[in-house]
Amino acid sequence: MDKRGKQNVLKRILAIRGMGQVITVTIGFIILCIVFGLVNPIFFSGKNVANLLRQIAPILIIGIGQSYVLITGNIDLSIGSVVGMSCMISATLMTKGVNPLIAILITICCCLAVGVLNGELVSKCKLPPFIATLGTMTIARGIAQIVNNNYNTGSIGEGAKGFRNFFYYGKTAGLYNAIWITLAMWIVFNFILSKTRSGRHIYAIGSNIDAARLSGVNVHSTTIKAYLVSAICACTVGLMTCATTGMGTMDAGNSYEMYAVAASVIGGVSTLGGQGILLGTVIGASIWGVLQNGLQFAGAPVAIRNITIGIIVVVSVLLDVIVRTGKPRKKKMNPVT
Amino acid sequence: MKKKLLSIILCLCMVLATACAKEEAVSTTGNEGKEEAKVTEAAPKTEEPKAAENFKVYLITMDQMDQHWVNVDAGCKKAVEELGNIDYEWLAPDVKDDAKQIECINNAVAGGADAILLAANGPDAVTSALEEAAGAGVKIIYVDSAAAYPAIQTLATDNQAAGKTAGDEMIKGLQAAGITEGKIGIVNVNAATASCVAREKGFRSAFDGSAFELLETQYGEGDAAKSKDIAANYITSGCVGIFGANEGSTVGIGNAIQESEDTIIGVGFDKSDTILELIKNGYILCTMAQNPDVMGYEGMKTAAKALANEDTGADSVDTGVSVITK
Repeated sequence: MDKRGKQNVLKRILAIRGMGQVITVTIGFIILCIVFGLVNPIFFSGKNVANLLRQIAPILIIGIGQSYVLITGNIDLSIGSVVGMSCMISATLMTKGVNPLIAILITICCCLAVGVLNGELVSKCKLPPFIATLGTMTIARGIAQIVNNNYNTGSIGEGAKGFRNFFYYGKTAGLYNAIWITLAMWIVFNFILSKTRSGRHIYAIGSNIDAARLSGVNVHSTTIKAYLVSAICACTVGLMTCATTGMGTMDAGNSYEMYAVAASVIGGVSTLGGQGILLGTVIGASIWGVLQNGLQFAGAPVAIRNITIGIIVVVSVLLDVIVRTGKPRKKKMNPVT
Repeated sequence: MKKKLLSIILCLCMVLATACAKEEAVSTTGNEGKEEAKVTEAAPKTEEPKAAENFKVYLITMDQMDQHWVNVDAGCKKAVEELGNIDYEWLAPDVKDDAKQIECINNAVAGGADAILLAANGPDAVTSALEEAAGAGVKIIYVDSAAAYPAIQTLATDNQAAGKTAGDEMIKGLQAAGITEGKIGIVNVNAATASCVAREKGFRSAFDGSAFELLETQYGEGDAAKSKDIAANYITSGCVGIFGANEGSTVGIGNAIQESEDTIIGVGFDKSDTILELIKNGYILCTMAQNPDVMGYEGMKTAAKALANEDTGADSVDTGVSVITK
């Protein structure tokens, strides 16, 4: 009786969409950790684990944002630039003596505006998401540069100590605040994606946009919602970067959009849309962070790290493709031409 | 059939375009010669010296972000004010990138540059662009970091010597803290930026024969957040000292040391408000401040001399570093 109950739970877990790849990648992740632990025992020390979790935090947050957009069948290339924009806007305001709380609010508004713009361009103006967000990526980076007249800001000062502790340096219940923030965001966005109607709509337009529209899903607002999530995630990472460095750097978040895609894709989120779960993104981001961290402890040159990460991205997508071609193809091959 | 025709037409257009471009290049060199002739003509008249001798000088740096470049720019502006006959413009890519810097050089040449002050990203990547520029009659002067192509003068910090100074300062700091052995971490920008690679080389040479163990260099792309993560990992692995090879790296190591409870000696490079604050609060022992304003100022003076066909002096000028402590 008990055994059967256990089997049922197992079956139910395996039945969740995209769980297969998550399990495969998790096994890879565990092997990776064991190898790094054997090479250098410091890897498993409490201090490093706490540090490692905090290094994974920003990658996971932008990964969540990118996953939302990828699941709708689109892509958001502007993430990295929005990180830079958020970092620069908040830092500039704080160096000018604005209360950190107000600075954060203004920053969030600016970043959400980019999210709305992305959504409108993609869903209303029917621009290919790759091009639309390529444009907003450059615009956002330009804004990051112009905010402080094309200079990095100076130190955000003692007045912003609370801000720095809240987003990065402080600890609550033995864990860094950055980790708590990440955890909270993950729980909220995972709930929205897996348990609410909006979440189901996001999957629906990613699997088959016409069918979704015909069954009454508001494609326009759902797309905007996904881009808003992506913008708010990027905004949070920008604030975190500002807290980490204590200054605004114009190239903050440079190439983060690619980290975000990598974290999502490694974790089994399909770039074709409609498939993937945020649990996968956690593993994807963790693999990325562990590689950065573990290879440094192993004393490996940076080039090795880049090659390894590239190989893992390719292999995990390859796995996805192999698994999919094993099944009958439901997706239309090429609706455009 | 139509497609074939179209492709043939396009090919023809391309060939024509390249031919035109070549002609243009030839004609610019021709113009340049004429201009020089004009200058010599105008010199004895001295009626309108400004109109005849207003030279266009570009400063091209690695990026626009580091305060360092802002100071080079300030030095240039100061010299421009004193000289009076120079149209000056600062060009820079948004991020450190060879291809983008080459574009800047091409843009400067297209914009009618008489001289370019260049902080080369790397020794080799820009050489062919510089060759073209020199072919168009542009005078080239290096500020901060030189490329392999020969130029009129290089005004730069002797980075290797400065790196050695940084290493010596770190050894002194470690001795003062009673530390005689242990691991030392190095946070650099990337493997392609010659100036930072030379700093690292000098830094490493200071530790020759000492009991300290220098770890594998890590690259943070000059990004303060990435550099902070790297430095934190170094600290976890038990480093007693960390060297940051530029502004972003130094801010990164400063923030990581600020957070740790152990005694870690941090030595950095370059000067900015944030770094000065980190030194003031005791998280970084010292930083090697270059004199970018001197590079810009003297570089512009050299450019003016070269354009006036005067003697420009030595091939390379060491603008030195000053060690900034608490």
